[in-house]
Amino acid sequence: MLEFVRRNRIVCTSGLLLLFSLILLSTSASTRRRMDPLTGIVLDGMWPLQRATAATVQALAGAWRTYVDLVGIRQENERLRRRVVELEQQAIRLAEVEQTDKRLEEVLNFRATLVGDLIVANIIARDPLPWFSSLTIDKGAADGVQKNAAVLSPFGVVGQTMTAGRHATRILLLTDHNSGIDAVVQRSRARGIVEGALDGRCVMKYVKRGEDLEVGDRVVTSGLDGIFPKGIMIGEVTRVTRGTRGLLQVADIQPSVPLDRIEEVLVARGAVQSAEQLP
Amino acid sequence: MRAAVLLTTIAVAALLLQTTLLPLAALGRATPDLLLIICVYLGLHQHSVGGAVGAFLLGYLQDAFSGSVVGLNAFAMCLVFTLVYLTSRHLWVDNAISKIVLVFLASVLKTTVVLLLITYFLSGATIWQAVANYLLLEAALAAMLSPAMFSVLTRTQQLAVTEEE
Repeated sequence: MLEFVRRNRIVCTSGLLLLFSLILLSTSASTRRRMDPLTGIVLDGMWPLQRATAATVQALAGAWRTYVDLVGIRQENERLRRRVVELEQQAIRLAEVEQTDKRLEEVLNFRATLVGDLIVANIIARDPLPWFSSLTIDKGAADGVQKNAAVLSPFGVVGQTMTAGRHATRILLLTDHNSGIDAVVQRSRARGIVEGALDGRCVMKYVKRGEDLEVGDRVVTSGLDGIFPKGIMIGEVTRVTRGTRGLLQVADIQPSVPLDRIEEVLVARGAVQSAEQLP
Repeated sequence: MRAAVLLTTIAVAALLLQTTLLPLAALGRATPDLLLIICVYLGLHQHSVGGAVGAFLLGYLQDAFSGSVVGLNAFAMCLVFTLVYLTSRHLWVDNAISKIVLVFLASVLKTTVVLLLITYFLSGATIWQAVANYLLLEAALAAMLSPAMFSVLTRTQQLAVTEEE
């Protein structure tokens, strides 16, 4: 018997402990006592450890929650920052669209003052060399653009077409030294030829010395060159030069068109007239 | 002796974790039973009277900190220890997978036994459905944590043996 117990001491011990547990359970359950004196001692012994652990865990949990909140705020901040950038880009796009609308409206209003076949073209390139003044537009022979056609903007004369490709055309600006436009002074009707100067301005030449020409006079197209319709603004006189001798006088003209800023132009396809000229 | 002290320290630490940290990270009401994992470890590696007493004390410790009557978890832990001990005597339970499965089954067994005892002694029939919902999840959590716990316990025991030598 003792040998059996010795050989199976673990199972026997377990059995005894199971029995003891059952008795303990039975007693506790019958008396409805949820605690025995030993449990109280265990509880008291563990209390400081539990309190310290709970405090640590709570501190860590608090730190973790703070960290998570901070991460959340950071992510929210990033999201809002991206949104601000998006909205700024959108605002820039909208402003650009608004500007384009305004410009196109001006072009169309100007277009309404003319009679003839005109198309709107966008400027796609500018002259790479400083001593020539030309532009490239996105309309060419395929769109009906021909050589030596008038190129206008709501501000006035831009220039004339020079070489027309199939889908693009080069424009000789009125400020180029190869350009010549038959013009009149709006106030006095004095005639002359407006040619380009190298510094982005124009010069009105071949004006008779006796003609009335003053600073501030507006110079418009005469319509006699067969390219530009009559009465289109070229620019304003900024200086009048009369030599002591000779038959002619020269005027410096500031072009009315801001040539370095325009983005759309009207290109004539055939003869164009000002609506005011019609009977 | 040193091993017993170290195991007791680990058991106390596990109890502290189980009563403070794990409820915060619990999935629903399911909390992995760390003391049960220690009990299974004792059943697998402490084939001595000390192991059986240890299992009883683990259950008693749980009883002291739970709202149940004394003896409930003590009985369940003793039963788990005995069955794991008998299993390890007859089956080769030495690889990680079999230990994980054993912890899973032990958790299911312990919860079932506790429920049966509650039903018998305390007429707590209503608790069945509530516990059944998270019984398997709790067992799965215990099984998942068991490799880490076993590793800690094995290292602790090796340390104790080395220092004693």
